[in-house]
Amino acid sequence: MRQAMIRIGAIVRKEFRHLGRDPRMLLAVVITPVIQLLLFAYAISFDVDHVATIVIDFDKSPASQRYLQQYEGSPFFQVVAHGSSLADVDDAFDHNTARVAIVIPSGFSRTLASDAAAQVSVLIDGSEPNAAKISQAYSVALNQLYGQQLTRDWADAQGLDLSSFGLLQPQIRTWYNPERRSSDFLIPGLMVVIIAIVTVQQTAVTLVRERDLGTQEQLEVSPMRRIELMVGKLLPWTLIAFLDVALITGLGRILFNVPLRGDFWALAVGAALFVFASLGMGLLISAIAPTMDTANIMALLIAFLPSFLLSGFAFALDQIPVFLQWISYAFPARYMVTISRGVFLKGSGFAELWPEMVSLVVYALVMLVISSVLYGRRSRA
Amino acid sequence: MTTPATAAPAIRASGLRRSFGDTLAVADLDLEVGEGAVFGLLGPDGAGKSTLIRMLATVLRPDGGEASVFGHSVTTQAALVTPRIGYMSQRFSMYPDLSVAENMDFFATIRGVSKADRRIRSASLLEGMGLAEFTKRQAQHLSGGMKQKLMLATTLMHEPDLLLLDEPTTGVDPVSRREFWRILAGLHRAGKTVLVATPYMDEAERCTQIAFLDSGRIKQFGTPDEIKARVPGRLVEVSATYPRAALAAVQGVPGVESAHLLGDVVRVLWSGAAQPEQALGAALAAAGVDGAGTREVAPDMETVFAYLAGTVAEPHEAAPSGTGSFAS
Repeated sequence: MRQAMIRIGAIVRKEFRHLGRDPRMLLAVVITPVIQLLLFAYAISFDVDHVATIVIDFDKSPASQRYLQQYEGSPFFQVVAHGSSLADVDDAFDHNTARVAIVIPSGFSRTLASDAAAQVSVLIDGSEPNAAKISQAYSVALNQLYGQQLTRDWADAQGLDLSSFGLLQPQIRTWYNPERRSSDFLIPGLMVVIIAIVTVQQTAVTLVRERDLGTQEQLEVSPMRRIELMVGKLLPWTLIAFLDVALITGLGRILFNVPLRGDFWALAVGAALFVFASLGMGLLISAIAPTMDTANIMALLIAFLPSFLLSGFAFALDQIPVFLQWISYAFPARYMVTISRGVFLKGSGFAELWPEMVSLVVYALVMLVISSVLYGRRSRA
Repeated sequence: MTTPATAAPAIRASGLRRSFGDTLAVADLDLEVGEGAVFGLLGPDGAGKSTLIRMLATVLRPDGGEASVFGHSVTTQAALVTPRIGYMSQRFSMYPDLSVAENMDFFATIRGVSKADRRIRSASLLEGMGLAEFTKRQAQHLSGGMKQKLMLATTLMHEPDLLLLDEPTTGVDPVSRREFWRILAGLHRAGKTVLVATPYMDEAERCTQIAFLDSGRIKQFGTPDEIKARVPGRLVEVSATYPRAALAAVQGVPGVESAHLLGDVVRVLWSGAAQPEQALGAALAAAGVDGAGTREVAPDMETVFAYLAGTVAEPHEAAPSGTGSFAS
C-alpha cells in the first residue's frame, strides 16, 4: 500500500511537471476557461434591452405622442430615430441601426376618439429570433398597458369608478432569476461546459500520449498496477478542474454578480462527481483512440457539443426533440447543469439534488469500468 | 562461455508463437539463454526480434507456446518476472520534456527503488556513462547516442539481472556504438545476462552467443566461432583495377563456393583443396584481368550470414533441424 502511494505520487509529480513544462497546456487549463467564461458570458447574452427602435408618427397628434412616450420611457426600447416614411424603416433595418419600428398611421387619434380599435404597426427585424420574440412580447405588453390606460382615462372622463369593477391585473413573477439576467443562468451552465472540456480532453490525450511516447511499455514492466496509473493521472486533473470551478465561481460572483444561494458543498460534491464522470469519458476515449489527433477530435465531439447543446445549458431540455432528450441522458453534463443551477439559483442542496448525484456516480463507475477493460485489452494486444 | 546455472536459465522459450493479422512474427520458437550470457539476436528488419523481446518483457502476450524468465512464466507470473528484467524498447521511450535526472528518478521510483538508492545509483550510472554533465538537460535535447545511454541507465536503476535490449545501437553513430558496447561488456563482467537485438552483423562478434533470426525462426545458433566454423573453406579477397572483370573471371572456377562484390574488392569463399591464391591467380591471369591481387582474410559475420542465409536458409526453410539445433 505504501509502495502504491509512492508510485501514485510519482505519477502525480510527473503530470505536474509536464504541465509546468508546456506553457500551452497551462494556458489551456487555466487561462482558456477564464477567456471562455468572459467571451461566452458577454457574447451569448440572451438579455434583450435597449433594442434600437425607429418610430414613425404619421398622425402627429397629442394621442400619438402620448403613445410613443411609452416606448421612450421603457428601458427595453431605445428610440434611436424618428422616421418620416416607411422607406426609413427599410433603411434602418438594412443598416442594422434599428431592429424594431413603430409606425403610427394617420388617423390614429381620430380612431381612438371614435372608440374603435386603433391600429399601430410594430415591425420587427426577425434575423435575430430571440430578440425578435422578446421585442414582440414587450410591444404587446406595452400596447395592453396603454389600452388599460385609455380605458381608465375614458372611465374617469365618464365619472365611473372602476375600482369596484375589478379589472384583471396579471402579476407575473420570474422565480430564481427575477431580473431574468442571462448571466445568472449562463454562468452555472458554462462552468459545466468548461470543466467538461478541460477534463475530457486532457485525460483523453494524457493516456494516448503515454502510448505514443512508448513510455506505456516501461510503465507496464513496472510493478505499478493499472488502477494506480489511472488514479495518478486523475488526481492532478481533478485538482485542476476544482481550480477551474473556483475560478469560475469567483469570477461569476465578482464580475457578474451571480448569486450562490444553495449549499456550496453540494456544488463541490456534484463537481467532484462530474469531474470523475468526465475523466471516465476521457479514459474511454484514450482506450479506443489510436492517435493523439483522433483523441483530440473525439474529446471535442464528446465533451464539447453534448455539454453545450444537450445539457440544458443552451436549450431547455424539454424544448428539444424527444430522441435528443434520450441521447442527453448518455452525457453527464445534463446532471451537472441541473446541480449547478440548482445550487447557484434555486438554493438547492443535497436533499433536492441527490438523484442527479446518484446518476453521476453510476455514470462515473460505468465509464471507469468500461475504459479500464478496453484500455487493458488494447495495451497488450 | 555460457555456464548454465543449476537454477533455471535466464530465458527459456518453447514453441513460442505470435502473429499480427496474417503475418507470423515469431513462429514456434525454442530458445534457451544461460545466465551471464551476452546473447545477440541478429536478423533483418521484420525478422521477429522485437516481437520476441516484447514477449519476454511481458508487454506482449504470446499466441501460443511458453516462455519463462529465471523460471517464471512471462504470461502467468509476469509480476515475478518484471522486477528482474530491464527492458529497453527499440524506440526512445522516455519523457522528452523531463530532464535526464527526472526521467531516471521517475522510472526508478515506480520500480520501487528507495530514495537513497536512487541517489547513489543515478550518480554512479550517470558518471559511468558520461552523462553527468547533462543531468538537467531535457531528454528531447539529447543526441541519439546520449538518448540510448539515458535509456540504458534508466533500465539499470533497479539493478535487473536480465537486460532485454531491442536494437539499442540502431541509428547511433559509430563512436557511441563502441561506447555502448563497452558498457555492455562491463555489465557482462558484473554477471548480468544481456539479450541484445541488433541488425549490425559486426556486433555479433561481441556476443558470447548469437542466434540469427529470420521470418520468426532461428536459422543459426551458437557462439560466434561455432557459426563461423559452419562456413566451409576460407575467405579470399580479390582486388583488381576493374573488380567486375575480376568477379566474372573467378565465378565458375572449381573450388569457388561463392563470390560477390564488396566495395571495390571481390570476396570469394574458397572450398577447394588447392591454395586459393594460386588457383584464383591463374584464373585471373587467363581472363586477362589487370592489376589483380589475392589475399586471404578472416571471415566476418556479415559474410558468414550472407553465405549461411544463401545455402542453409532456403533449402531447410521448413526442416525441423532449423529449430532443433540451437538449444545448447
